[in-house]
Amino acid sequence: MDKIYLILATLVFLGGFVLAVVALRTGKYQTGRLNVGLAVLGLIFQSLFLKERGDLHMRCPLTNGAEVLVFISWSVVILYLAVGRAFRLSLLGVFSMPLVFLFQSFAIVSLMSNDPGARPPESLDPWLEMHAAMSLLAYGAFGLAGIAGTMDLVLDRQLKSHSPGLLFYSLPPMKYLYDAMLRLMLIGAGLLTMGVVSAFFMATSPTALHLTVLGAVWLVYAGILTVNVARGLRPKSLSKLSIAAFSFALIALLVI
Amino acid sequence: MSIFCLGVNHKTAPVEIRERLAFAESAIPHHLKEIRGLEVVEEAVVLSTCNRVEIYGAANHCEKALDQLVEYLTKHFEVGDGDVEFYRHEAEAAAHHLFEVASGLDSMVLGETEIFGQIKKAYLTAQSTGATSRRMNKLFQQSFSVGKQVRSSTRIQQGSTSVGSAAVDLAEKIFGHLEGCRVMIIGAGEMSRITAQSLKSRGAESIIVSNRSFDKAEDLAEELGGKAIRFDEWADYLDQVDIVISSTGSPHAVVNKSDVAKVLKRRRGHSLFLIDIAVPRDVESSVNDLDNVYLYNIDQLQRIADAGVAQRHKQIETCRGVIRDFLSNKGIDALASEPSKYTERGDSNHP
Repeated sequence: MDKIYLILATLVFLGGFVLAVVALRTGKYQTGRLNVGLAVLGLIFQSLFLKERGDLHMRCPLTNGAEVLVFISWSVVILYLAVGRAFRLSLLGVFSMPLVFLFQSFAIVSLMSNDPGARPPESLDPWLEMHAAMSLLAYGAFGLAGIAGTMDLVLDRQLKSHSPGLLFYSLPPMKYLYDAMLRLMLIGAGLLTMGVVSAFFMATSPTALHLTVLGAVWLVYAGILTVNVARGLRPKSLSKLSIAAFSFALIALLVI
Repeated sequence: MSIFCLGVNHKTAPVEIRERLAFAESAIPHHLKEIRGLEVVEEAVVLSTCNRVEIYGAANHCEKALDQLVEYLTKHFEVGDGDVEFYRHEAEAAAHHLFEVASGLDSMVLGETEIFGQIKKAYLTAQSTGATSRRMNKLFQQSFSVGKQVRSSTRIQQGSTSVGSAAVDLAEKIFGHLEGCRVMIIGAGEMSRITAQSLKSRGAESIIVSNRSFDKAEDLAEELGGKAIRFDEWADYLDQVDIVISSTGSPHAVVNKSDVAKVLKRRRGHSLFLIDIAVPRDVESSVNDLDNVYLYNIDQLQRIADAGVAQRHKQIETCRGVIRDFLSNKGIDALASEPSKYTERGDSNHP
């Protein structure tokens, strides 16, 4: 049943993206009412998948790459609903959907071809659970910041070209995207800090590689935020950095 | 009893006629009472704007009511018989016309929203004067629903329709809202004034005016509630403003890439929007190559405005489709027959 939930969630996000693209092309996109509804529906299916997997493992369902990808996707969606809506960035959801669809498609293929099955812990370590959950929630925030950065670059390109396309009128203003990027990176850095700190309290110490990679990701984001406070990064630079930093964070996750 | 509409608008009458027929706002309640006093007019609403003068109403004999209204208007406003050609709509055509007006389809600037507020005001004035009853109440309530539906489900409002509105829309795309945005005008020409006023109407403040003739700069600064500076000082203020409007008569570029590049570091990442409405151009086109600097000249703004107008024109049929769907699904409430007082009470068995 867990895989059914995952497939349903993936189809919902794909459908949401397709509908939004059609609505944008025909000019009928209305601040994403349908889009938000589909994001909520997708989130419900994602949550049901994670619950089933959690019941199977009797712990936080982060025991393999597929579950990690779904957890990051879940974080992206929940942060979009919590943060994106607050900043009137309904289109952020549309831009998030391809990423979520991609991550979950990988997860489906992986689970269908080789589901490692139940992996209950010998003893439950709340610090390990905390470490994994906080770190991956941070990835959700970083992913969403990268998506906001992509939207900012699209808008910048349209403004520079002097011939705004259809998407131009639906994109949020650059200032909102800039603010959203900063806030999401700040939220992500805060969550990652909690993840890193909790790693030091785990019953079994993480490997040096694990800590080094995690520390490097933390340093990248802390560096961006510090430079921004000290010198004031240009929106375009911040957008590029948000995309580059998230790409680095994803590669780092693969290394771990 | 049915509904009707009588009027002239910017398409059917020149401004010389419209201004003679325009109702003074304060006199509308008085006119409504007089119109209600006509033999056959049961209800009335007067919509008088700079682009139209229309009277909507309900009567048992619409043809007679329309003749009486024409007579009233020509007599009251001293318009000769052959001077003005009023359009007349009855029943469904009258409702359809009002729905198009409320949707901005009949406006000079297609899709504009001001007319919606003007209709609301006209209706409220008539209602408070006691000139409306069941039919006009239903008709106008429906027109508000249709107007909202057309605007929300089509792109009739999308895009800019003038150079000024294109500049404002672009500024809002960069800065979000214009409250607190600082504007500098280089060259106190008419176009600068109009564009600055558009920006100011959307919340821009701290307007700095620089002009070769300092007196002219002071005059415009006073008019816009800003500050005048000497022409050779404008570069010193470039790091303090968000939007620059340039419209000097200079034969060569006034704002160079190096001027702008110099201040970018001091701007700490804040975007700069340059509007060059001068011919010959005041701002070097290579300024647009700088990061977070957006330069638009008069032709580029005009192209956006033209595209916006064309886009809105393409939407007319879609909007009419929304109105047609609304009418076929819901009908016109104002044309429904009067419910009998027994059925209204739910007493259907009463003889």
